Amino acid sequence: MRPGAAATARHLGELQHATERTAPSCALSARPAWAYGSPHTPTNNGNTVITTQDLTKVYRTRDREVTALDGVNLHVREGEVFGVVGQSGAGKSSLIRCVNLLERPTSGTVTVDGQDLTALAGKGNDKRAGRELRAARGRIGMVFQHFNLLSSRTVLGNVELPLEILGHSGQERTRKARELLDLVGLADKANTHPAQLSGGQKQRVGIARALAGDPKVLLSDEATSALDPETTRSVLQLLRDLNKQLGLTVLLITHEMEVVKAVCDSAALMKNGRFTESGTVPGLLATPGSELARELFPVGGVPSAPGRTVVDVTFHGETTTEPVISKLSRTYNVDISILGAAMDTVAGKQVGRMRIELPGSFEDNVVPIGFLREQGLTVDVAAVAGSPGLPVPDDGGRRGPEDVRVEEGAK
Amino acid sequence: MSWSEIQPLLSQGFLDTLYMVGWSTLIAVLIGLPLGVLLVLTDRGGLLGNAPVNKVVGAIVNIGRSLPFIILLIALIPFTRFLVGSFIGPTAAIVPLAIGAIPFFARLVESAVREVDKGLVEAVQAMGGGTPTVVFKALLPQALPSLVAGLTTTVIVLIGYSAMAGTVGGGGLGSVAVQYGYQRFETSVMIATVVALIVIVTAVQLVGDAVVRGVAAHRGGAAGGAAGASGRLARLGRGRTVAVTAAVVVPLALIGYGLGTGGDDKQTLKVAASPTPHAEILEYVEKNLAKKEGLKLDIRKFNDYVVPNTATESGEVDANFFQHKPYLDDFNEKKNTHIEPVVNVELEPLALYSKKAGDLKDLTAGKTVAVPNDSTNEGRALHLLADNGVIELKSGAGAEATLGDVTDDKGLNFKELEAASVPRALDDVDAAVINGNYAVDTGLNPSKDALAAEKVKGNPYANFLAVKDGNQDDPRIKKLAKLLNSDEVKHFIENKYKGGIAPAFGPVGS
Ligand SMILES: Nc1ncnc2c1ncn2[C@@H]1O[C@H](COP(=O)(O)OP(=O)(O)O)[C@@H](O)[C@H]1O
Ligand SMILES: [Mg+2]
Repeated sequence: MRPGAAATARHLGELQHATERTAPSCALSARPAWAYGSPHTPTNNGNTVITTQDLTKVYRTRDREVTALDGVNLHVREGEVFGVVGQSGAGKSSLIRCVNLLERPTSGTVTVDGQDLTALAGKGNDKRAGRELRAARGRIGMVFQHFNLLSSRTVLGNVELPLEILGHSGQERTRKARELLDLVGLADKANTHPAQLSGGQKQRVGIARALAGDPKVLLSDEATSALDPETTRSVLQLLRDLNKQLGLTVLLITHEMEVVKAVCDSAALMKNGRFTESGTVPGLLATPGSELARELFPVGGVPSAPGRTVVDVTFHGETTTEPVISKLSRTYNVDISILGAAMDTVAGKQVGRMRIELPGSFEDNVVPIGFLREQGLTVDVAAVAGSPGLPVPDDGGRRGPEDVRVEEGAK
Repeated sequence: MSWSEIQPLLSQGFLDTLYMVGWSTLIAVLIGLPLGVLLVLTDRGGLLGNAPVNKVVGAIVNIGRSLPFIILLIALIPFTRFLVGSFIGPTAAIVPLAIGAIPFFARLVESAVREVDKGLVEAVQAMGGGTPTVVFKALLPQALPSLVAGLTTTVIVLIGYSAMAGTVGGGGLGSVAVQYGYQRFETSVMIATVVALIVIVTAVQLVGDAVVRGVAAHRGGAAGGAAGASGRLARLGRGRTVAVTAAVVVPLALIGYGLGTGGDDKQTLKVAASPTPHAEILEYVEKNLAKKEGLKLDIRKFNDYVVPNTATESGEVDANFFQHKPYLDDFNEKKNTHIEPVVNVELEPLALYSKKAGDLKDLTAGKTVAVPNDSTNEGRALHLLADNGVIELKSGAGAEATLGDVTDDKGLNFKELEAASVPRALDDVDAAVINGNYAVDTGLNPSKDALAAEKVKGNPYANFLAVKDGNQDDPRIKKLAKLLNSDEVKHFIENKYKGGIAPAFGPVGS
């Protein structure tokens, strides 16, 4: 294992500081819509390899229509791991299946590695994929929740299948497939059949198979959802390694925050077919009111008495080591109680989150809160029962340090 | 019948069955497999989603599946003739068998392919595979165990269907069982053929199951997971050997056999005949007399009374030997054919039998008499009864007299039964009019047990050799006619049928 692995795979509950941690499951936001900032398009640092523009997908069944995607604008940059999170039925699978045109979008465009795939899709009712689209798919790897390995073939045979489709010769196929199996650590299982493998091993085969066409992009639809936590971590680690070693761009969808925390550079939250938030993970964590941040990094704690202001503070990088809270206490002479706190590594960076309680109402605390912001922290007035939860004046300081987009929640 | 007599029937029947079932299975697979796959692909949401094609193919398949096989067999006669040049014989029987099995197998393929996880299809598509790749690399290999199971079922159904192939002279074990077991009361033959069929069906099922299990074990399914690696390998080896051997041997054997039966010699005289006694008499001639005359016979057996005439009319056979004058006259008129009798050979005299009455006088009012229910035999039976004073018929009642023509039944009750079943009913009635051949088969002796019998001399129901008009002077026909009226044949008939069938030689009266 590489040195970084331990950190990436670290448990949520693993505390590095002597901070007390309470971790009740955090219910989805009760935060009013006006608390979000206005949408803004991410600036493009690095090439964007996957772009979707106003992607919509409407399933028409006999008696009803389901809008699974409702104008999704996805931007995945080269070499990053992008996670799409959302509850079941949010449209995540529809999105990823639209990316390689397994599902034909109702409207909007999909561009992968500079190629407009929607332009390659067959016309009209013809569901067959043309040669160009098939060639493009060959350059996009995909792994599935239920592995989708052929039980009729050996492990080696499964990895050879995409190579057969690509027209490689027999010897070349075997050589390459063995190389890929070696890469995922299954060189010794080449001649067994999938039925004899564990779930984690099956998914490794699935990944090896997905890499056969030397793809630039890997799509992963809930690749770890059928695995136990331990195996999930090792498979995610493999994805992370491949992302680093091969410069592979990964678009993964999941309903598990753990996955995003473990491997994602960027993430988007999907609800009812729309992205309600998207951005880099540090950026999201630095964004007040970000639901993803709260989900990723829940801190709990109930105010000790009514009439107090509860504030969630997020520390990033440098600030994690600064004694900000004691400075605040000293400077403004306020008693601060820490209701809950947690420290973790997200996307390879240290992040801390703390829920503190200040005496008095929000208005009484405008100045101390301003101080915290000046220190470069993300400050969020928590909407906790018993807390006044008054509006925060929208000053520029609320904007996170990196590209983050927080759209209004979908209706 | 003794084993030495049964054995050749069995082995010929087995070869015919193997030949017909083997080829029809092959054809059913070649056509049914793509059809089944097409049904899945064109279905709504399928890879080639195409509702019109799906509906049409589905409808054709359903029609094919709902037709009773025997109807299909007859309905396909023109098509069969177009395809193989003839509609009789084992080769021709393959056509309806295959066509009957295609929709059956297609539906089995459809359900087998539908079982394949949609995720696999998606995986292949995501790799850039097109529809052919999906079909050949994912759907078919994944469905293989179910496909083999479906194939096993199809072969077994075809073995069942092939029993009806006797109608078109296809032969096979099933028709041996019907001819000898049902119609001739040769219980030993029936048991032997039925046992042979059970053995074959069981063997097919066992081999099919073994292959399915072998494939599953090979893929490391539940069966393979439990056993040790060595056991798995051994079983895999065996499964493969069985499959490969079958794949090589069966088609080779079929081709060989097909060529064997396909040999068509211009010198050979093709004669269509009912299995008993006609084919037996012809076989006697072929074995013992024909060679000396330089005559070669190809004897085709038919359970049916229409096909031999239509085959003679169309020239697919040179002659037939199964019918009597009243039947032929009616047939020629109704079917507009031109079949002409050549020479009378034998008569199956109808006779009245009883297990209860010792004399005609015992048939008093209230007694029950069974008679055949087909128009010819019933007419003959009523005339026999009238000639012997048991009943009185309307004056001028024709050959096809019915119970309606009886003017005085003397208080008797009549029971009309299928000719072949009348002997079975003898214990349940007071007397029965039975065809000579059926009587002998049930162990009755026409000369001793009959209360009354038809006269042989001048009997219009004598069976003759017949040809299409114009072929009467074919030298081969003349030779055969001469042999059929020879002393040797006379002795053969007398010895073999013991009065149930009587020699009735000579020209056919008009
Ligand atoms: N093939 C389909 N036909 C009809 N409705 C579908 C189909 N696939 C998905 N949907 C609907 O679209 C919505 C989004 O589904 P999906 O993309 O699978 O969400 P997720 O992966 O986030 O669970 C759901 O309401 C689902 O029922
Ligand atoms: Mg899903």
